[in-house]
Amino acid sequence: MGHHTITEVRQEKFDFSTRIKLIPILLFVVGAILAGVGAMQAKESWDSPREEVTNAVNDHNAEATNSEAPDAHADHHLALAEANSDSSVPSTPEVPSTPEEPSVPEVPSVPDENHAKVAHEEGAHASVEHAEAHGNHHEVTYMTRVWANLLLNSYYFWLFAVSALFFIAVNYVANAGWAVMLKRIMEAQSSYLLVGSILLFTIIFLGKDTLYHWVQYFDGSAAGNPNDAGYDAILESKHWLLNNSSIFFFVPFVLIVWYLIRTKLRRNSLAEDETPGLDMFKNSTRWSAAFIFFFAFSFSALSWLIIMSLDAHWYSTMFSIYNFAISFVSGLSVMMLILQYLKSKGYMEMVSDEVVHDLGKFMFAFCVFWGYIFLSQWLLIWYTNLPEETVYFQARLNSHFKPLFFINLFMCFLIPFLTLMMRGAKRSPKVLLAAGLTILVGHWVDMYLLIMPGTVGDKADFGLLEIGTTMAFAGIFIYTVLHSLSKANLYPLNHPYLLESANHDVGV
Amino acid sequence: MVDKSILLDNKKFTVGTFTDSDKLLHAVETLRKKGVKIFDCYTPFPVHHLDHALGYTRTNLTIGAFLCGMLGSLSGFTLAYSMNVVDWPMIIGGKPQDINVFTSFIPVIFELTILFTAFGMVIMFFARNRMMHGIKEDLLDRRQTDDHLLIAIDNSEAQSLSNDEIQTILVNEGAVKVKGNVEAFNTSLTTEEDLEIVIGNNEGAAVIN
Repeated sequence: MGHHTITEVRQEKFDFSTRIKLIPILLFVVGAILAGVGAMQAKESWDSPREEVTNAVNDHNAEATNSEAPDAHADHHLALAEANSDSSVPSTPEVPSTPEEPSVPEVPSVPDENHAKVAHEEGAHASVEHAEAHGNHHEVTYMTRVWANLLLNSYYFWLFAVSALFFIAVNYVANAGWAVMLKRIMEAQSSYLLVGSILLFTIIFLGKDTLYHWVQYFDGSAAGNPNDAGYDAILESKHWLLNNSSIFFFVPFVLIVWYLIRTKLRRNSLAEDETPGLDMFKNSTRWSAAFIFFFAFSFSALSWLIIMSLDAHWYSTMFSIYNFAISFVSGLSVMMLILQYLKSKGYMEMVSDEVVHDLGKFMFAFCVFWGYIFLSQWLLIWYTNLPEETVYFQARLNSHFKPLFFINLFMCFLIPFLTLMMRGAKRSPKVLLAAGLTILVGHWVDMYLLIMPGTVGDKADFGLLEIGTTMAFAGIFIYTVLHSLSKANLYPLNHPYLLESANHDVGV
Repeated sequence: MVDKSILLDNKKFTVGTFTDSDKLLHAVETLRKKGVKIFDCYTPFPVHHLDHALGYTRTNLTIGAFLCGMLGSLSGFTLAYSMNVVDWPMIIGGKPQDINVFTSFIPVIFELTILFTAFGMVIMFFARNRMMHGIKEDLLDRRQTDDHLLIAIDNSEAQSLSNDEIQTILVNEGAVKVKGNVEAFNTSLTTEEDLEIVIGNNEGAAVIN
């Protein structure tokens, strides 16, 4: 292997021709049609009962008494029942500990046994039945499923843009040089921030009454009225964050600040192409540092407000970092897919295998990071076994979401972990493509598990609606990114670390 | 990885001494292009691309690391399962003691994977390099661990060029010192007199430049 040093980087420009434009446009159109058809199907079949699912849920609950006995008792009514002990909970006949659990002796001091009698089967339907307790505000219709799908995809694709912006900022702050050849890909990816933010905000704004049951609660008569039967002490205690002004002012404020910083970094980067020197680099570094500081707080708050509040009674301190892990690893995978696409079209041939290898290492590392964060959240909740926390996993694990739960673990952690571990895999375009797609689909399932149980709950399904919405958003995302990519040189020509990146070699 | 002993006893070497890593690298490339087999290079610091230039292939140690990790995972699982489920089931937090408490095994599995991999890598690395306890290093030049970089060519190996030609190339490539018939000395020869003898012998070898 020779080691001739690259001293000059050729200028390249991506040609976003009409033929290429057709692909995302077609994706969007077909996706929109499919989503429409799917929504119609959902509307028609909504009221017909789904026997097999109900049975499956019961089966899982029966299993749950065996495998995770205390979890099956977990129910938010433990906390709620104190506030509205006279609320009419549809009590199902309790199946007491079945004879086929020989190894589990009765644990004498389980404090919530009494509540378990009332609420054994509720874990899977937590939010639905909870809403009934509040007077049927939270009626789940097919529109809930439509809104939940829109939220899922707008949030998921928006995360790609956010993570790309974060990655640019991290590279500036860390003075990292290896990824400079890929900087324009990151910038293009972050260009979706504007469109994505508008879509996300619109969907939250218009769909909040359907999606968030805390919105319905605070709009209702029970809010702020301790004597009301529907009064909810837990939601009241979260009123400082979960209120309409958070959605009206805080979300757009954060989105606008991020967009402004993104614009600043992009303008600096384009200006650098015209004028050599370190001025733009230093300026961008300062903006990046400011962004990362602001991002840490604002991203956490946004993830609580947008996603965690779907299960408004539940909370986890790991939640924002969990969202960040999803964001970063899927953003890196998207970056890798764009890079491989450009390479297959004959662009960016100066990006050496070493840089691809290092991006692959990042993908691998953040798959492990996601697994680590997942475990950190799951392990503590599982061990501590507090009813108000286990209700979250109860709704995901002991319901018809159970297969997805394990598919998620396999696709986001185990498969990429074992695949990307090999050196050859991180240098082979085909394997990287497969691994990147696995991670992306896996995290789509992950987002599905974050959003669906708290909104659609029992009625969640996978059909044309889900596929169509994802395709439509993918169309918008791809169009925006490729459009931005064609607007500038593929390499930031006067970046001080460009040659370092072109000659990057860690010698393994 | 080149199959050789680090014990250089009973071999004579042609040694080119460099003070610049780039020149050393270039010399290695030139020599190998002309078909000269290089025994090894000795440098006080890692020289980028030298492994490629010497034609070394990638180490298989990573496969060993993976196997060690798998062994560690299995050991962790066996340990946790046999203790918590088979041997002495204890009810902790009201949890059943069977495979369903797999979650609580994960920290044990994780730690043992790391432990086995780390120890396994250290042991395998030393074994592969024949670095056992009590070994003394062989030096061709006392400054090879300080500020000089050496190219060593085994005189007993059949070469495409004559020894004189090789020495000329080394000089042309910028070697500050070229010796044709160097024997390694062992640092177990601790006394200064012993060292003097060895070095004195080497000084007597053909010196160009």
